[in-house]
Amino acid sequence: MSNLDLLVIGGGPAGLSSAIEAAKNGLSVLVVDEGVSSGGQLVKQTHKFFGNEVFFASVRGYEIGRRLSEQLNSLDSAKIQNESSVVAIYPDGILVHDMKHDRTSLLRPKKIVLATGASERFIQFENNDLPGVYGAGAVQTLMNQFGILPGRSVLMIGSGNIGLIVSYQLLQAGVEVKAILEASNRIGGYRVHADKVKRAGIPILLQNTILRAIGEECVRGAVISGLDERWKPVGGTERELAVDTICIAVGLSPSIELAAQAGCEIRYVQELGGYIPLRDEDMRTTIPDVFVAGDVAGIEEATTAMIEGQIAGLAVVSDLTKKSNKERLTYLKNTIRNFRSGPTSSKTRAGLSKLGSRFEEVSFTKDNQDDFTKYEGKMRPVIECFEAIPCNPCETSCPANAISIGDNINSRPSIDYSKCTGCGICATTCPGLAIFMFRENKDGTCSVGIPYEFLPLPSQGQYVTALGRNGDTICKAKVEKVVKSANKTNLVYINVLRKFASDVRHILVSSREPEAILCRCEEISIDQVKKAISDGYTDFEELRRYLRISMGPCGGRTCRLNTLMILSEETGIPVEKLSPGVFRPPSIPVSFKALSEGRVDGCEE
Amino acid sequence: MERILEHPLISFRRGEMITFFFEGRELLAYAGETIAAALHANGIRDLRYSPTRNRPQGLFCAIGKCSSCLMEVDGKPNVRTCITPVKCGMIVRRQHGRGEVSE
Repeated sequence: MSNLDLLVIGGGPAGLSSAIEAAKNGLSVLVVDEGVSSGGQLVKQTHKFFGNEVFFASVRGYEIGRRLSEQLNSLDSAKIQNESSVVAIYPDGILVHDMKHDRTSLLRPKKIVLATGASERFIQFENNDLPGVYGAGAVQTLMNQFGILPGRSVLMIGSGNIGLIVSYQLLQAGVEVKAILEASNRIGGYRVHADKVKRAGIPILLQNTILRAIGEECVRGAVISGLDERWKPVGGTERELAVDTICIAVGLSPSIELAAQAGCEIRYVQELGGYIPLRDEDMRTTIPDVFVAGDVAGIEEATTAMIEGQIAGLAVVSDLTKKSNKERLTYLKNTIRNFRSGPTSSKTRAGLSKLGSRFEEVSFTKDNQDDFTKYEGKMRPVIECFEAIPCNPCETSCPANAISIGDNINSRPSIDYSKCTGCGICATTCPGLAIFMFRENKDGTCSVGIPYEFLPLPSQGQYVTALGRNGDTICKAKVEKVVKSANKTNLVYINVLRKFASDVRHILVSSREPEAILCRCEEISIDQVKKAISDGYTDFEELRRYLRISMGPCGGRTCRLNTLMILSEETGIPVEKLSPGVFRPPSIPVSFKALSEGRVDGCEE
Repeated sequence: MERILEHPLISFRRGEMITFFFEGRELLAYAGETIAAALHANGIRDLRYSPTRNRPQGLFCAIGKCSSCLMEVDGKPNVRTCITPVKCGMIVRRQHGRGEVSE
């Protein structure tokens, strides 16, 4: 027997968590990971996580990956080997390929945790293999890990959480998302994620699919079509979108290859993402020395992957040492039970029940919010968290203890406005960006605080466009203040008329002032000219001296007549009665050198 | 495509600037990024031609789980360029078909 207690295959949230758990208890652990850095898919997750504080709620994914890797590196008995793949699991050992040095080694650990994750699902449409058709994970890798734009305009296929999150991330990187297509008649992901992309103006087209990608060497467009109730394309509804990137986010398949090679019994459980290894509540497969954790055990999300990893790590510790970890194991199992007890986990529960693990749905508090209208004139949050999801940072971050979720993490927040101080911390902490600040002002306007994660950040006094929940333009709004936050969810407070305030949920900040330019050379706008005329400059030469209009390099070729037309319109004097002004030289720009070295015709020296 | 210079959430820590060769052209990259990422940053998205139908293919999964980005690197075919870091002076070629070992 080798002296390696535990081999963890895969360095994502599940693998790192199980390795930490085992190494903390003194076991020797090796994590083998294919990536150039560990953290798995966490390294490209830029959104704040749901869940509770113990499992990094409201912390951004890449930060969680960094913290887990650091934690593991600080443990003496643990080692991570990156850029290495497990090629096979044979009865006599596990063959690891060190890609950096292109050599293999055969490992014989006492226990294995398979945390191999999942692979991107692929769907069939014409030209789906064209360069520019990416899995959603690939778009995230390029964009969030390496800082490279995958394209300029994207069509997203799939409205599950990944499709919604990646669409939002594309916008943050400055990429246009033309549309999100969803074949079914409802959005697949969390409502808070859908709301974020909708208010930013991305249309989510339900009962739509892609028929083909257009392009010879790379994607140049896509043909989409409506679908009927039986998911068949409806004739005559095809249309073409000009995009250079098609992003497929139609789900993940557990990467079970190594589990199958290890001899674990595999079963098809559709609710868990397809074929998965059978396992018990300790995450032990049908091969006693082999455990699984994370997406390979059934597609879920990173928080449950971390908990499963800890459970598996602890189960290994129990196997190999005399330590009793019963208390912690019970705590972890209760935590994961709590996470899975909400309505958004119904599929996971159905899948797990097929494996003999029963997870009950627990009732959660629905609506017991304090009366919002009673506190008119007070700065306070509007919580638009309508779906019971496992998440509670609003509760834990509130310094006034005004928000409560309660024991069931799936419960919706309820708020006691009398305790609220209006600080806005809940709004910057909420992973779903579903909390807005609100105050009715005495002058008939409202102040609305909007969580904002885009560039450019507007500045105080700047005018921005206020957008509604579907990205529709509502009105112009003046920025009252910008509160920057360390977690980069900044709060932009805008001032809008009261009648608009409850509809305004996002802002569009343009770095370009909307101006209709009259004089291109001197950049004089039509508004400036009209204002000057109303201020009494009613003669062309006066306007010229006052605004410098027509005094640029073009000598007024582009703007003289237009200025006279406006002058005529504003004063009522016909154009032919107006003085067109003087036509001074030079009529085109000429250098002083050319003039100083000039000759007079016929007087050549 | 191009690099993201300013991002509301992420500050990209890029490594040392290096050069590598793609189809005989010298291209810039940052140490620490993968070959496929470096090629994208240089606007190259078609990475190989498929073995049977000779169709251009590019990055698909970016985590080493599909075959879409297999290229010839320093004479070695079938390199998963999405998880292989780019190195200074590396010679990268589009792979045609199943690839041949040139040494």
